[in-house]
Amino acid sequence: MRSAGFSAGKLAAGIGLTALLAATCAFDLQAQQPPPAWKQGQPESMKDSKLAPHASPLTVTPPDKIAHSKLKVPSGFKVELWAHGMPGARMMTRGDKGTIFAGTRAIGKVYAITDKGAERTHKVIAEGLKQPNGLAFKGGNLFVITIDKALRFDGIEDKLDAPQPTDISEQIKLPESTHHNWKFAAIGPDNKLYMSIGSPCNVCEINNGVHGLIRRQNLDGSNIEIVARGVRNSVGFDWHPQTKELWFTDNGRDWAGNAGPEEEFNRVAKDAIGAHYGFPYCHANGIADKDIKKPNPCVGVTLPAATLGPHAAALGLRFYTGSMFPASYKNTAFIARRGSWNRDQKFGYDVVQAKINGAKATITPFMTGFLDTASNSFWGRPVDVLQLPDGSLLVSDEHNGAIYRVSYGSGRVAGK
Amino acid sequence: MCGIGASDLSAADPFQARLQLCSTCHGEKGNSKMENTPSLAGQPELFLTNQLILMRERVRSSEVMAPFVKGLKDDEIIALAAHYAKLEPEPSDEPVDQALATRGAQLAQQMYCGSCHLPTYEGREQMPRLARQRLDYLIQTLLAYREGTRSGIDTSMNGVMYGVSDQDIRALAHFLASMR
Repeated sequence: MRSAGFSAGKLAAGIGLTALLAATCAFDLQAQQPPPAWKQGQPESMKDSKLAPHASPLTVTPPDKIAHSKLKVPSGFKVELWAHGMPGARMMTRGDKGTIFAGTRAIGKVYAITDKGAERTHKVIAEGLKQPNGLAFKGGNLFVITIDKALRFDGIEDKLDAPQPTDISEQIKLPESTHHNWKFAAIGPDNKLYMSIGSPCNVCEINNGVHGLIRRQNLDGSNIEIVARGVRNSVGFDWHPQTKELWFTDNGRDWAGNAGPEEEFNRVAKDAIGAHYGFPYCHANGIADKDIKKPNPCVGVTLPAATLGPHAAALGLRFYTGSMFPASYKNTAFIARRGSWNRDQKFGYDVVQAKINGAKATITPFMTGFLDTASNSFWGRPVDVLQLPDGSLLVSDEHNGAIYRVSYGSGRVAGK
Repeated sequence: MCGIGASDLSAADPFQARLQLCSTCHGEKGNSKMENTPSLAGQPELFLTNQLILMRERVRSSEVMAPFVKGLKDDEIIALAAHYAKLEPEPSDEPVDQALATRGAQLAQQMYCGSCHLPTYEGREQMPRLARQRLDYLIQTLLAYREGTRSGIDTSMNGVMYGVSDQDIRALAHFLASMR
């Protein structure tokens, strides 16, 4: 039990220092203070490690400070800086009238980007929110899912100057925890709202009905169903264009060494809705957790279609259905890897292509150049990918508040 | 509270005028003599930048700071952060209880405070300097993290402070304020 002493409010109201010092100091040091969620599971051998999450700037990065000319894509493709000046821009979704919406985490804003042909302009349509990372668009309405709120912006593309959100939190029903609770959201081919609910820790026992899952519900909030269990923290999913099956990325635990366990690229088979993907007992290609143990930890677990590298932070994922890229890209997935923090030699910081072969997938690099391995430093962090109607691909870079556009061949270069 | 309003900003040299405003509460060289008001001297530049932006965006709510950060441009914020990051941090004249500080040193080690804030507690990147910060401000801030009334750019500190007793918070603060 915490002692009933003073509260922050009372203190701010002016309880003097002398009073504090005079208070009886009966120490009740607990044997084990809970470490912050991202440090849980840190072994004694790594207790002096200086690894810590990298902070992305909350300030505007001017275009001349964005090193997009360093980006490398396969022959025939080109990259341009498509939009900038939006600190923290992450997950993207597209409105029916062409507006690109981008969510954020720390800075609490939602951006709406309009393509004016020669240039892009953006507006802030929501601010002061708690990590508005989950965006989905359907029937003219934008859904914004934050850590503690669900908002619906009806007819938003006609109201970018005067957005009027409806708070639908009560209908949508979000869990109360904070960590790993920034959402990825999308609306499925079944017209249901899907979202991820991460585990509230690095690694811990979880309630499989509340945390560590992907769920779906009707757009009015009714009929919540669990689609995938044992998911540590998914920040990207999409449906295969042909099979209509859900595929998702999932981030592996931290503080288990430089080698992993690797991030996962998973498939939810049509006949396996609600399958278990292993967290916290079984990771990657069947690696038992070193801290959270149970007999036969990987029995009954759906193993990944492919692994996505150690601590790579594989996030945004979208299947490619366009005609601008060579035919070999059709129905393959692009996956943005934001890049590692819990690893001595940085890894990821790129966009990869995943070729699907039944229940398996193979991964190849697509866009690199954010990371300089020689100096172990990075200048950008790709978080999401989104295909435009012309078949080009947008890639958001949270670190620079920018969006790049990848086109192929004679594909029109925006703004030229 | 500060007896000066945001509207007092002179247009002659806006940056110097703004520093003048800041110094009213945060001390002439960024070392605060005012109760419950943080020292800014020697704080990491990124930490200062982030906090000013979180306050401007009202993600971090501070009634006192609200009028001062309203409408600040990014480059103005970066200039302020760069200025204060270069100043030499000095301890405040608040009395430190040595017994509490000793207890706090043990706690800080158990809670891995130094793994982010560095073993010297000088801070780095988005993580603030704690050494030589005002004692009363450290207590107020640790309480705010525990009560969930404040978060950083993420919620790490809310997790760290969950369930930490008032007495332990005092001990940590006495230790950190007395770190040289």
